[in-house]
Amino acid sequence: MTEQARPSFIGARVKRLEDPRLLRGHGRYVADVRLPGALEVAFVRSEMPHADITAVDAGAAREHPGVVRVLTGSDELVAGREIRGDWRGEIWQTSAQPALAGDRVRFVGQPIAAVVATSRYVAEDAASLVVADYRELQPLTSARASLSDGAPLLHEGWTRNFFRHSHFLGGDPDAAFAAADGVLELRTATQRQTGMPLETRGCVADYDVVSGSLTVWMTNQMPSVVRTSLADVLGVEENRVRVVAPDIGGGFGVKAYLYPEDVVVCLLAMELGRPVRWIEDRREHLLAAIHARQQEHRVQVAYRADGKVLAIRAEVLVDSGAFSVHPWTAGLEAGNALSLLPGPYTIGDYECDAYAVATNKSPFGPVRGVARPAAALSTERAMDQVARATGLDPIEVRRRNLIDARDCPYTTVTGNLIDSASFQEALDRLCEVADYPQLRRQQAEAREAGRLLGIGVACYAEQGASGIHEYLRRGMPTIFGYETALVRMDPSGKVLVEVTTHSHGQGHETTIAQVVATRLQVPLQDVRVVYGDTSRMPYGMGTFGSRSIVMAGGAASAAADKVRLKLEQFAAHLLEISADDLETVDGAVRAKGAPFRSIPISELARAAYHQPHRLPQGMQPLLEAVSTYDTERGTGTWTNACHLALVELDPGLGLLDVQKYVVVHDCGVIVNPTIVEGQLHGGIAHGIGGALLEELVYDEWGQPLSTTFMDYLLPSATEVPRIEAHHIETPSPFSATGSKGMGEGGAIAPGPVLAAALEDALRPLGEVVVTELPLTPERVLRYVDEARGAAADASGDR
Amino acid sequence: MKPASFEYVTARTVEEAVRALADSEGEGKCLAGGQSLVPLMNFRLARPPLLVDLGQVDELRQLRHDDDGSLVVGALVTHREVAGSPLIAERVPLLAEAAREVGHAAIRNRGTIGGSFAHADPVAELPCVGLTLDAEIVAAGPHRRRTIAAADFFQGPFTTALAADEVLVEIRFPASGAERSGWAFCELARRRGDLAVVGVAAQLERRGQRLSARIGLAGVAGRPVRAVAAEAGLSGATPDAASFRAAGEAVAASLAPPSDIHGSAALRRRVASVLTERALERAARRLEAA
Ligand SMILES: Cc1cc2nc3c(=O)[nH]c(=O)nc-3n(C[C@H](O)[C@H](O)[C@H](O)COP(=O)(O)OP(=O)(O)OC[C@H]3O[C@@H](n4cnc5c(N)ncnc54)[C@H](O)[C@@H]3O)c2cc1C
Repeated sequence: MTEQARPSFIGARVKRLEDPRLLRGHGRYVADVRLPGALEVAFVRSEMPHADITAVDAGAAREHPGVVRVLTGSDELVAGREIRGDWRGEIWQTSAQPALAGDRVRFVGQPIAAVVATSRYVAEDAASLVVADYRELQPLTSARASLSDGAPLLHEGWTRNFFRHSHFLGGDPDAAFAAADGVLELRTATQRQTGMPLETRGCVADYDVVSGSLTVWMTNQMPSVVRTSLADVLGVEENRVRVVAPDIGGGFGVKAYLYPEDVVVCLLAMELGRPVRWIEDRREHLLAAIHARQQEHRVQVAYRADGKVLAIRAEVLVDSGAFSVHPWTAGLEAGNALSLLPGPYTIGDYECDAYAVATNKSPFGPVRGVARPAAALSTERAMDQVARATGLDPIEVRRRNLIDARDCPYTTVTGNLIDSASFQEALDRLCEVADYPQLRRQQAEAREAGRLLGIGVACYAEQGASGIHEYLRRGMPTIFGYETALVRMDPSGKVLVEVTTHSHGQGHETTIAQVVATRLQVPLQDVRVVYGDTSRMPYGMGTFGSRSIVMAGGAASAAADKVRLKLEQFAAHLLEISADDLETVDGAVRAKGAPFRSIPISELARAAYHQPHRLPQGMQPLLEAVSTYDTERGTGTWTNACHLALVELDPGLGLLDVQKYVVVHDCGVIVNPTIVEGQLHGGIAHGIGGALLEELVYDEWGQPLSTTFMDYLLPSATEVPRIEAHHIETPSPFSATGSKGMGEGGAIAPGPVLAAALEDALRPLGEVVVTELPLTPERVLRYVDEARGAAADASGDR
Repeated sequence: MKPASFEYVTARTVEEAVRALADSEGEGKCLAGGQSLVPLMNFRLARPPLLVDLGQVDELRQLRHDDDGSLVVGALVTHREVAGSPLIAERVPLLAEAAREVGHAAIRNRGTIGGSFAHADPVAELPCVGLTLDAEIVAAGPHRRRTIAAADFFQGPFTTALAADEVLVEIRFPASGAERSGWAFCELARRRGDLAVVGVAAQLERRGQRLSARIGLAGVAGRPVRAVAAEAGLSGATPDAASFRAAGEAVAASLAPPSDIHGSAALRRRVASVLTERALERAARRLEAA
């Protein structure tokens, strides 16, 4: 039998195995952890963006009936408990976020006290009795303000208000600019947005005084890593800390941190010897879970008359908030923007200055897409401006600049190694499946009738599954370079897989089972995938950075291979055939070319455990294996995609109606198309939120204004269009399964796509350059006026 | 986001509810659909020590027309009932159209017209329609029932003429007396189901050869307002595109709206003008079809 004839679950539209549990409401989340005697915490949070705390009066709160403990920032228990995330690069200034602020607050929402009581209701009653006095300091509410001369310094020992500054120079931009036919400049801006999981953050800590061991249930995407962080900050031996991340209702990056609240809850449980619980409410989430996305770019582009982009110079300012986060650091976003701004194009001459600027806003961190949405906004808007300047179609300009897939593995100007891709093919497919010429005709007809239709496109390369090489290069303090899987076949031949990634929407219970069932040639329903409990699982990194199918899939695949090899060696001994002449197919190990000479896997498994005397000399009974995995060069995988949207603009109200959204997507070998499409749809919804709706607004005094769902607008079913997705599968040469990471990508393109579509829709009114997101009615109407003004100016000139 | 502690009582009649409010020295609050009050309590922006649940007061569920031709809508009639009632569709279709713009299905199932009027959110649709159609609000207090004109009822943001010990019983929409009418409610909301940034209610009425217009606006002041100048400009005019554009301009000129993160004053003024024009156009089409 040939390799292909083996039953394979790779590529099958298997229904998600976790769904019967989750959809029936049987998921068990942190808030479902109910321990006898548990106390609840309410945090008192700073109302000032920047101030010295002169006094905190917690007297009345302590007297309140039902209150067990009131902890303030000056309490011994939290002294020196600080969270740090230090980037390992040249120009870096550190910050230390206290578990509770004692003497100074640096953003509205920063915890300053914790009230522990018999219920959350009582805790909130008492929390409202805690009174803090402040001496106000000048708040810094924008990156520009923070960098301006004379701005007060946000942290001790700093010389200017940034965490990180990096300069990059590749090729010879000066020469390229000098030789260019044209140069254009853009200033783009994305606002604060964040990940908004249905389930907010939460933490339940239980300390066993007798054994000195601490169990923490928390909403965390990286249970192993956060266990180490907790042990470090709490001073508890790590072998006495157990972190359980049970079912989690979405993460998007915001649950991949150690937060001050987590530290406080653990300290209180240890001090009080009773379980302590905190479930974040939505207002807290909007105030104090990390924020993301806010960047300002100044970009200069040198191009040739034939549409070739020669060089880019860029300045990137990331509004990184008040503290550097753990473990990602405030440096990651700025570094990613710098690294990814040239996009999927053959731009050889590039210079960039990137700053992670400190401001008096909530700390900032990686969220689905990490800097790529802002980087792509600049790159893709630049492509569109080049198209306009050269009179070429935006599609054609991209075609002339995209990396040729035949040159992969391709090293970009910033040193990214693109493993394999289908950039040109994807763009051609997009034009074909969206019927681009027909869309242009439709647009022309609509314009005749006075309607404003616009078309936008964007291309991107999504870096995923970053490994040891990549995280080293990025200067991360922790090198998230591998994942681990344990594969255990029991005496019945059933398989338990423990992975160190965490599934909170990604469907690992299904996809990892598909990989393992294929490697072991057992039925899919015989494979159970679990995760999230550090007392059971081996050590690994977690879920982030579009990595799970590659990293956990690779580890599970390798561990499964070890088990299969052992089964084959055992069978070789029993059948008296060389293991080389055996193969495992469809539930049995059998002789190649003589399939009747076979032993079912279930029989081998039972014998391996219960009849150890039948094992060959020196073979140990158990059928289990642990493997770690990193991609072949530790450089990860690159998914590529092109998005297209057709929108209609209502120029009276400033509303965009997205009428068509088409994606051509290549993430290598697809393990489960339904899950890939689900991730894509979710990512695009997230991206549409950032493009049209979501904005965490701060006023000029540093007060956050988007603290409820009436103000922070998420896209809902009525705002997300039908998404048409088409796939190309270019296998990755660097990953075990040929798959590539793809969980974040959907969120990258909608911003530039919709900005381009608006600009295109406005064309009959006049020429403008759309550079600022989200496209709220306010901004859209400003562009409408600008377009009309531009047209008026132009006609005035004539 | 947990409310402060409160007492809870269920009233079975309007009189019982009024007594409970009076006994709480005006500190108690009626609970109708809870779609505005409960969120306020969770944010602790409202801390009533007593909630008087109106849910079992049958009198408040009435929906009927009176001998004088006016339509009477009980305080507890839900947005969904308003949106779907054949009686309302026939008598005050503008109200039904506006109710469809209120929140999402789940909110319309619970939220009530009385709650919406008593809450008096300046961007709310139904109060705007109430003002536009010169509705009357019937309130019951410890000593008597009284009728308040919509123009006097809405006083400012979240402020009405209701006394602390009064229960809103019903809302009366007087018969217009027009032979034919056309209506429309248009709004700008950031997402479908969101509170409006600006809403416009318009009704064109024909009596013999005479045309008159009613235009009400939400989201442009601390309470719903009538666009008096625009209404006057349209009275007697030929309903055509030019007159509607002029009405829109008149609306914009008359307003000094507030700003918030969903829309600056300038945006509201501009959008009010656009929506007025659109609402009048749609109303005119319906008038013609009538
Ligand atoms: C997500 C969401 C979206 C929404 N969108 C919209 C929208 O687009 N447009 C809109 O207009 N509204 C919207 N609302 C609010 C909704 O319409 C409410 O239903 C309405 O404002 C209040 O009605 P209620 O019956 O829920 O009143 P409650 O919340 O029970 O009460 C509101 C106030 O009115 C008082 N009250 C209620 N009934 C009486 C009475 N009979 N006599 C005296 N006082 C009384 C209460 O004491 C309280 O002060 C939305 C709400 C939500 C949660």
